[in-house]
Amino acid sequence: MADAVFLALSVLTIGSAIAALEMRSLIYGSIALMGSLGGVAGFFFLLDAPFVALFQLAVYVGSIAVLILFTVMLVRRELIFKKIEDRRRKMAGIGLLLVFLVSVGALIMSSGIQQMDSDSPPIDFREIGEDFLVYYWPALVVMALILSGAVTGALVLARREVESGTN
Amino acid sequence: MSVIAPTFRLSYFLRSILDNVFWIIVLVTLVGIPAIQIVLFYIEMPVIDGELLTPFLALTWLADPSRAVPIIKALMYTDFFRIAVFPGFGLAALLAAGTIFVERKMLAKLQLRVGPFYCGKVEGILQLMGDGLKLISKEIIIPAKADKPIFWLAPVAFVGTAAAFVSLIPVAPGWVVADVDLGVLAVFAVIGFFPIVTILSAWSANSKFPFIGGIRALHQMISFEIPLILSLLGVVMLAGTMSLTGIVESQDFFPWIVFLPVGAIVFFICILAELERIPFDLPEAESEIVAGWLTEFSGMMYGLVQLGTYLKLYAFAALFTVMFLGGWSGPMLWPPFPEEIITDGIQLGPVTATIPGLPILDQAMLNGVLWFLLKTVAVIFFILLPRGVFPRIRIDMLLSLGWYKLIGLSFINIFIALALLYAGVLGPGGMI
Repeated sequence: MADAVFLALSVLTIGSAIAALEMRSLIYGSIALMGSLGGVAGFFFLLDAPFVALFQLAVYVGSIAVLILFTVMLVRRELIFKKIEDRRRKMAGIGLLLVFLVSVGALIMSSGIQQMDSDSPPIDFREIGEDFLVYYWPALVVMALILSGAVTGALVLARREVESGTN
Repeated sequence: MSVIAPTFRLSYFLRSILDNVFWIIVLVTLVGIPAIQIVLFYIEMPVIDGELLTPFLALTWLADPSRAVPIIKALMYTDFFRIAVFPGFGLAALLAAGTIFVERKMLAKLQLRVGPFYCGKVEGILQLMGDGLKLISKEIIIPAKADKPIFWLAPVAFVGTAAAFVSLIPVAPGWVVADVDLGVLAVFAVIGFFPIVTILSAWSANSKFPFIGGIRALHQMISFEIPLILSLLGVVMLAGTMSLTGIVESQDFFPWIVFLPVGAIVFFICILAELERIPFDLPEAESEIVAGWLTEFSGMMYGLVQLGTYLKLYAFAALFTVMFLGGWSGPMLWPPFPEEIITDGIQLGPVTATIPGLPILDQAMLNGVLWFLLKTVAVIFFILLPRGVFPRIRIDMLLSLGWYKLIGLSFINIFIALALLYAGVLGPGGMI
């Protein structure tokens, strides 16, 4: 069962990633990107990490993809893209991709991933939270500062200049 | 040649009735009974009198009524029943339909009009049915230069997303379609799909009014999602869990609105904005941009979008109930099932009928559903109410409200929750 789901998710993720690159229509491309990101969320579900999976859905599919969609809708494709495509470029791209994939695969295979015990229970997200508060607290503080800086920045950007006399 | 009013002839009438009976018998034998058998085959059947009920025996409840109640009970505990009927789609669609009618009627009364009046003699209660029939029978028009696949898919995706949202809502103890351990996060993930569907449908219509409406809807939904998420964090902190069922169970003694009124108010305003209801109905501003992103939809496609909108309204009202009003918890109002019907049976003159398997639903569950529905309907009423009172606000006011005031207030709410937590008053290990 899990293998079938894994295969289906792989086909979905990789297929829609290729579609996102190859589609002529930018809108369909960004929809395909959404499918790819959703497929990654499916992998997280398979890995017993629903917390990460739901955040993947909420942040990547729900926000980043919307941002891309929104940007794509507001631009004219002809203005920013010029089609440069010939056979050599295509071959070089495919070759580069293959080299990259083979080297990354070799790295992963030679690392300690094969000795991992796959029967151990998944790590609860509460434990991760505890670790964040106890052991990794400086990282948490830095993240909090960055995020509050971002929110404050957004507020400053959204601020409306009060014109004299009106409002 | 068609005739508007053909002359009535009894023989034709009888013949058509016989024709219908014939076809009904043929279809039931060839399709209906095999279909029931197939469905029963996949349902886990109960054991009655020490005998496992097979699909063949199950059909004998027509001859042996004592099997009827156990079969009904077994059906009610299947996943299909949960998804399609009770805590899932059926209940939500029923409430949504009721909401549409109550909204029209109440709005009319608020504005000293009559509202739906003629359909169904009594205060126009059949108006909804008439509207539905009209929508189904209307032609679906697709704009010539529309992007057809997305345009067809958008209403279906909208209803699907709303139904996914509905499936996360717990209605009574144990009565929820998907009891997710991370319910609140799942809600955020599902809410994130609404802007995508909206903007895609708006873009695919290839018309200016839907596009303007879609862009406005996108702005509004994205910017109000942030205070919406932040305002729920206080409840999550105090309840110490993200499961919606767990959050309801943490409100046995008092609802969180008592301690977190700021969060509740912020959440309510965000609900209004997410649902595009007046005073935040800029995406559908009918005096400026026809009907916003719904402009090009016609016939049943519009009906689907409308169904999705009201499913979403029910789901948000139910979420407010679950997070702030204590869900199904409340004093026991439902009368207990009379014992003597279980033990002695029902006496009808000389005949005594004992029915095994009663009661079908236990008292706690019925009471929970009663309280949940009461609270949810009250919240829906308060969501509908501003439509009769307020005008539409300007888009800059909308954005400054969302980005300034609501985010600030939701941070204040989080600090209140933190103070209560660290003072040891509430929360896991707190005084109360």
